Amino acid sequence: MLTLNHVCKSFQTQDVETLALNNVTFDISRGEFVAIMGPSGCGKSTLLNIIGMLDTPNSGDYYFMNENVATYNETQLARIRKKHIGFIFQNFNLIDELTVAENIELALLYHGISEQERKHKVADVMDKVGIAHRAGHRPSQLSGGQQQRVAVARAVVGNQSMILADEPTGNLDSSHGEEVMKMLEALNDEGTTIVMVTHSPEHAQFARRTINLFDGQVITQNVRAA
Amino acid sequence: MYGQPEQEDFTMFKHYLITAWRNLIKNGLFSGINIFGLAIGLMSCILILLFVRNESGYDQWFEGSEQVVRLHSGFHMPNRPPFDTVRSSGRMMEAIKAFASNEVQSGARVVQQGLSVQKGTDVYPQDVSMVDGSFLDIFPLDFIEGSLETSFKRPMDMLITRDLAIKYFGRTDVVGETLTLCCVASNPVTLPVSGVIQNLPENTHLNTDLLVYMQPRIFADSPNILESWGSLNVYTYFKLRQGATVEQLQERVNYWLNNESPFKKMYEDNVGELPSGMQISDHVKLRIMPVSDIHLHAKAHAGSMGDLTPLGDYNMIVTFVVVAALILLIACINFMNLATARASQRAREVAMRKVLGASRRQIALQFLGESVMLVIIALLFALAAVELILPFYSQLLGRELHLNLLGDLSLLATLLGLAIMVGVGAGIYPALFLSGYKPAQVLTSTKGAESSGSGKLRIALVIFQFAISVVLIIATLIVYGQTRYSTNIDVGYRYDNKLILNVFYAQDRLDALKQELEKLPQVKQVVYTSDAPTQDRENNRGYKLLASSDGKAGQPDAQMLNYYSTDYGFFNAYEIEPVAGRVFDPAYGSDKVIRPETLGQDISNASAIINQSAARRFGFNDPQQAIGRTLEVSLYENQIHHLTIIGVVPDVHFRSIKFSIRPSIYLLREDRFNNANIVFSGHDIPTLMQQVEQIWKKVVPMQPIYLDFLSEMMAAQYAEQATTAKLFGAFSLLAIVVACLGLYGLAAFTAERRTREIGIRKVMGAEVSDIVRLLVWQFSKPVMLAILLGWPVGILLMRHWLQDFPYRLDNWWFIPVCVLAGLLSLLVAWFTVGGNATRVARRNPVHSLRHE
Ligand SMILES: Nc1ncnc2c1ncn2[C@@H]1O[C@H](COP(=O)(O)OP(=O)(O)OP(=O)(O)O)[C@@H](O)[C@H]1O
Ligand SMILES: [Mg+2]
Repeated sequence: MLTLNHVCKSFQTQDVETLALNNVTFDISRGEFVAIMGPSGCGKSTLLNIIGMLDTPNSGDYYFMNENVATYNETQLARIRKKHIGFIFQNFNLIDELTVAENIELALLYHGISEQERKHKVADVMDKVGIAHRAGHRPSQLSGGQQQRVAVARAVVGNQSMILADEPTGNLDSSHGEEVMKMLEALNDEGTTIVMVTHSPEHAQFARRTINLFDGQVITQNVRAA
Repeated sequence: MYGQPEQEDFTMFKHYLITAWRNLIKNGLFSGINIFGLAIGLMSCILILLFVRNESGYDQWFEGSEQVVRLHSGFHMPNRPPFDTVRSSGRMMEAIKAFASNEVQSGARVVQQGLSVQKGTDVYPQDVSMVDGSFLDIFPLDFIEGSLETSFKRPMDMLITRDLAIKYFGRTDVVGETLTLCCVASNPVTLPVSGVIQNLPENTHLNTDLLVYMQPRIFADSPNILESWGSLNVYTYFKLRQGATVEQLQERVNYWLNNESPFKKMYEDNVGELPSGMQISDHVKLRIMPVSDIHLHAKAHAGSMGDLTPLGDYNMIVTFVVVAALILLIACINFMNLATARASQRAREVAMRKVLGASRRQIALQFLGESVMLVIIALLFALAAVELILPFYSQLLGRELHLNLLGDLSLLATLLGLAIMVGVGAGIYPALFLSGYKPAQVLTSTKGAESSGSGKLRIALVIFQFAISVVLIIATLIVYGQTRYSTNIDVGYRYDNKLILNVFYAQDRLDALKQELEKLPQVKQVVYTSDAPTQDRENNRGYKLLASSDGKAGQPDAQMLNYYSTDYGFFNAYEIEPVAGRVFDPAYGSDKVIRPETLGQDISNASAIINQSAARRFGFNDPQQAIGRTLEVSLYENQIHHLTIIGVVPDVHFRSIKFSIRPSIYLLREDRFNNANIVFSGHDIPTLMQQVEQIWKKVVPMQPIYLDFLSEMMAAQYAEQATTAKLFGAFSLLAIVVACLGLYGLAAFTAERRTREIGIRKVMGAEVSDIVRLLVWQFSKPVMLAILLGWPVGILLMRHWLQDFPYRLDNWWFIPVCVLAGLLSLLVAWFTVGGNATRVARRNPVHSLRHE
């Protein structure tokens, strides 16, 4: 699915240069469920953003579906991103002014799909994650778990083949967290590639492989026995 | 102890001042947009204010000015466009003074003449005011040399102003020195200076720097100046008695007009029986106007000939006052919109202050103080800008305007008052809005405490701003279009390649002059006429159509026609083809109007050419029918002329199309020639001008030359309108700039508030262009609504404006104009919002999503 080769990323703030990713190399194959762990500030989110093409590396190569996207410009990246990648965030990132259904539809809005088909797909995915009865509500009227389910629905409604989740359970209590993990597991079973950042060793257990980051470097990779 | 509260007040004040200043610095964009916008609004207001003060202060500079009036005349004859002028006939002054002796204390006439002063070999054009001795009773002028008692007592006493004394003599003690004027009653006269007066102020309608005590005898050969009832050649002023009002005098004059004046008989002689129910005052207008009203209001009475000095335009001033106020209003709206839009940023500050014990009133005052401070900073910028622009502005308006704040405390006070009014006006709503926040609400909620109501108000105000802009664009385009239309209209003749030479003072040398001029290689033809296009006078006579010898009926009443005198070759030179008959031709030998040796004897004969309007007036449906018919007219006192119509020519726009076409008659009458129309070919214009001047100097050495290109004279007719168009364009542009500034700020703040949403959309696959479209569209809706609102208002206003033009743009022009105005506003709005939207849309979403 994707390969990172000697990827480096640094941030320049005032006089300080932070090396957020230092020579990161690994690959992820289609249908994998990978967890990324590490202490705060070690570069997990940065790594996920690069994988999700929200950011570009300073050096190194990034092959996504056999294309080197490290040098692509913003518009090119946006096109690949919207076709293949869905995102889930710790703080849900739903738009308060839109209803649940409209928030989900947003992920289809930029795909050139007819309105009728969009409505159809949104209805399907809401059924799947069990929030159909909340379609007309505003995000602020839902519980955290429900909001995250909306976010999951939004991430998969466009049939994205890969989901990037940055601490999807970080803001949820344990039962809601468990719920979301089950949902991700189900999606993985259907063939969706999942890359998830988490602080919870428990939730990392859902993944087949765990990548441990420290100070921007990959230190270990554990593969869970099947 | 008593000092305590004041001390505290001062500390508070200082504290607020410091906070205001810090806020100003911190919110660079907000402050910048507001200061810039308000500065433009204030600048426009100051510029207009200076102009208005200048225009409205005319002729109040002398003692007793409120008692001084002028008599204006008008002939509103049936079936003719009305003729109005600020002048009057020479006999009117004495007649009215005698009849209205209870109202009138004194009266004076002014005969204004464009003469020349000869100094050595140089000749200077010089306007001369020949006045009755009583002129100085009415306009008390200050003497520098000589005195009222000694210097202006005898006919031909001459006063000059200080500037003129310096111009001609280099000093001011010049009593006894002489000046040679050319020409008074066709002769040069040398007069001693009998007194020197102070320069007249700039804001007077008088054009008087050389006065001569009028000796009525010198006009003995031109009885139409002082001895006429019907020729309007003098300016008549009256000073009212204490307690007499303008209305009383007007009533008295009307009574005289209808009951005692000779106009009734003149009407019957020239036009016919007065229709029943009508009075003479329905046809002959005698209007009294206070001198202080002249500059702004005499335009309505001035007709096509203007006044002693260029008149102001009251309507134009009112229009520009409104426009300036609108620009300022747009700037104030910007302030309100931006202040409420960024309110959430300051909600926490307000809440904290309240928690610490500040009252709502104190907080409101703090915000008001900030807005007044902003406006005062803007005022400083505005004053600097006015200082820079003023020279160009003065030139454009043809006025000398000054900005002298320290020497003009009333202006300073007006401006400060304006600043505070604007500061409070713009700041009051945001102040109330912001000071109304409840601390608990603000401090516990993570989101901005923004109500949707203030958002809607902002959109409504944006709509209002852009509607104004659309109206102004429509107005500008229509004014511009009408000016283009006026200058490009087919006047019906060729006016290119012509020079107009004034030959009024070369009457006795016309043949020699023509001979010399026609020898020049580039000159094709020289034709003398009474009037050149654009400068025509009103010359009215009654012409009666006689029955023909083969029994065709005549008309019982004479028709008033305007008449021109033209030499052979005139219609040729101007390429005007007759629609029937022929033009004047020396081969016939019978075309000329000749003044008989003895008057009142036999009937004299000559030829006449009439225009199509005149032909219709005489009842000829086909111009051909007019040919060979005879008109009877009295051209010299009681002498009767019979004029045979030899040709009918098309109606041509001889004067500005601001006026409609009159029924006119062309005669070949040499004693009326005032202009040489020089038709030239070739391109060496400087040489040609030089050669013409040399010939003039040789043939008419005593006179300055007045030589103009006809094409420039034609263009000058519309110069005033072009100025209006330019001013309108400039002020509309300013209005739009200010509106766009506001829109830019609002878009920037809105985009700022929507960064998280934009980030989410981008993560969901939105491309930069999608985001830009989203942000731009948000403001396109209000702008489109503004366009829809602006259209009908603009159309209504400008259709009203066009009513004043007899020849005007067709109504369908409003379609492209409205479309263009709409597109322009939309494009400008898109550009304004689009630039910022692109910047925002390009931002990496990662940041905004993480730090929420
Ligand atoms: N936009 C940025 N500008 C400057 N520095 C940044 C930026 N983004 C991340 N960093 C720095 O890069 C390093 C890695 O940040 P990153 O957000 O990837 O850490 P993380 O592992 O996701 O931490 P956390 O578990 O707290 O989310 C940190 O030191 C961070 O301060
Ligand atoms: Mg992180």
